[in-house]
Amino acid sequence: MKDLKKEDVVEQLATGKMSRRQFNQSLVALGATMVMMPVGSRSAFAGSDDHPTVFTWEGWDVPELHQSYLAKHGESPNMAIFGDEEEAFAKMRAGFKVDLTQPCTYKVPIWKDAGILEPIDTSRLSTWDDIIPSLKTIPGTYEGNNQYFFPTDWGLTSVLYRADLAPEYVDNESWGLLWDPKYKGRLSMADSLIDGVMVAAIYIGAKDPFNMTDDEMVKTRAALKEQLPLMRYYWTSPADIEQALASGELVATSAWNSSYAALKREGLDVRYTSPKEGAMTWVCGFCLMSDHDPAKLDRIYDYLDAYASVESGVFALTEYGYGHGNINAFAKVEQDSPGLLKELGYSVDVNETLNAGIFQAPMGNEPALQAMFEEVKAGM
Amino acid sequence: MSRSATSSPGISLRLRRRFLESEALRGFSLLSPTLLAMVFGLAMPLLVLFTLSFWLQDYVDFIKTFSWKNYADFFAKPIYGMILFKSIKISGMVTLATVLLAYPMAYFIAFRIKTNKLVWLILITVPFWTSYLLRVFAWKLMLGYNGVVNSGLKSIGLISEPLEFLLYNPMAVTITLAHAWAAFAILPIYVSLEKIDRSLLEAARDLGENAFMTFVRVTLPLSLPGVIAASLLVFIPTVGDYVTPSLVGGPSGIMIGNIIQSMFGKAFNWPLGAAISVMVMLTITAMVCVLLWGTHQFRRRVA
Repeated sequence: MKDLKKEDVVEQLATGKMSRRQFNQSLVALGATMVMMPVGSRSAFAGSDDHPTVFTWEGWDVPELHQSYLAKHGESPNMAIFGDEEEAFAKMRAGFKVDLTQPCTYKVPIWKDAGILEPIDTSRLSTWDDIIPSLKTIPGTYEGNNQYFFPTDWGLTSVLYRADLAPEYVDNESWGLLWDPKYKGRLSMADSLIDGVMVAAIYIGAKDPFNMTDDEMVKTRAALKEQLPLMRYYWTSPADIEQALASGELVATSAWNSSYAALKREGLDVRYTSPKEGAMTWVCGFCLMSDHDPAKLDRIYDYLDAYASVESGVFALTEYGYGHGNINAFAKVEQDSPGLLKELGYSVDVNETLNAGIFQAPMGNEPALQAMFEEVKAGM
Repeated sequence: MSRSATSSPGISLRLRRRFLESEALRGFSLLSPTLLAMVFGLAMPLLVLFTLSFWLQDYVDFIKTFSWKNYADFFAKPIYGMILFKSIKISGMVTLATVLLAYPMAYFIAFRIKTNKLVWLILITVPFWTSYLLRVFAWKLMLGYNGVVNSGLKSIGLISEPLEFLLYNPMAVTITLAHAWAAFAILPIYVSLEKIDRSLLEAARDLGENAFMTFVRVTLPLSLPGVIAASLLVFIPTVGDYVTPSLVGGPSGIMIGNIIQSMFGKAFNWPLGAAISVMVMLTITAMVCVLLWGTHQFRRRVA
């Protein structure tokens, strides 16, 4: 059915040009659209009316990461949590209205294309000039002078392993550990395209893992298939792998910095590798949603500034081991507790760490990759 | 009653009379709250699902033209049929295990317990007062690497290394689901056993059947409606379950529910997800029809 405008339908009905069949088709389409449009989604959300709603990852919603907002407005904004960006996107498409979201860079272009993002007015941000410059110019996150993304957090996706259980990898760090048949049934990888399938692409040496050639796709698939019998499971929550590494159920897994920081604090002999093939660097930050409440803009920018402040950065670094957008946070951590940065896997010169990794980028032909991953997981 | 133009009854009166005379109308109005709930809660979403399954996904938009492509994809790619078949196999195992375990329990309460039956019934439901998710996690703790089973076996010296085959496979999914749905099997079987006229059992014994044959020829056929109800109550929802396989299934334990969930999330292809859902519904409907037909034949032969 062609997309019909309301006036067209009425006119065609009146002049008798529309057949019964066409009319029924348009009714079905209308009905389906209506049912998928939630009624009063705003009122259904139990939160304070004065504060913006922030849709983010678990752990980034804590008050320690927006102290100055709390001091100024007395309360935290309304927080909603997603498990991954796909879930967030599905919820927002189903009508969940939020003011700010905190996706990672590789999702920004598709969200922008879906028409749910609005440019951020960087002149209203007092912290904008403190943000690490290379994070501001990641392809796909801006268009001309329109900045769609406010980079606040970054970190690595790399191999986390128990050095006491796999000592031969200590000075020979490689993604290959996740393919070592010696540790069959005691390995894991993220159940994700960006943190899972892309790891396989890097492992097979794809030239541009995010835009693979057909030949590289075939090789990646073969690598994933080879890896499947070695997997204990594909992880979806960092808590899973942290417990499993601590108990010895897992020897090695792909992981984010926070798992390393958490296990290190427990006193376990874990290492977070710099694989010779290169670790992956992810960057997450805030997007302003196009259906934000304009009346709350002041508070939205207050929140962004609070999140990007040095204090928040110090908290993110010391508690989670995650990198922060504010470059001054690194100097502050180094000054307060010398040596901690190195222990967490960061160079004192942050750009050095950033340049060593492979920046995560939007993946070409995502549906095909997802279909391939599903098939491999199903044993095909 | 004269039907002159001047003395015709008011329109509301006429409607009222019409309403009282028509049984169907009165029936519908009595049903209307339920009917409305059914229409808006079941029929409309189903209609949306059907419609969606004939649309196509184009990057971030839907192509709202009628197309069979999603269904063609379902049959063209072996993964969907294979996973659906695996889900049915797992659910079949779950149903079998649940009914086999539930029957003796229901039998015991129906025939052996003389007083305080209600207390026994409530006791059986006690484990189900906790959330479904908690029960799944409980099994994760039981079967896990350092779980109850492994540390138990280790402490009595039967094994030195934890067993790894307990968790993250179809067997773990079967065990967890069989436990999670047990109450839904015990109760219908109990009800059908409770309804059996005890004099029939005595008659069978008087006529020379032994205890076992009495069970096979009298008790079992008479309790069959409960067994069928239990099987359906367990089988239908477990085919589409996705929480349990995603938590305890590991790579080999994924079921069709996980595929559908990924279509609506990660893979972001709602129309294909809708088409797979429709195919799952059709398959289950067909299987249930076969099951009902089969039991009908069975009862005719036994009775």
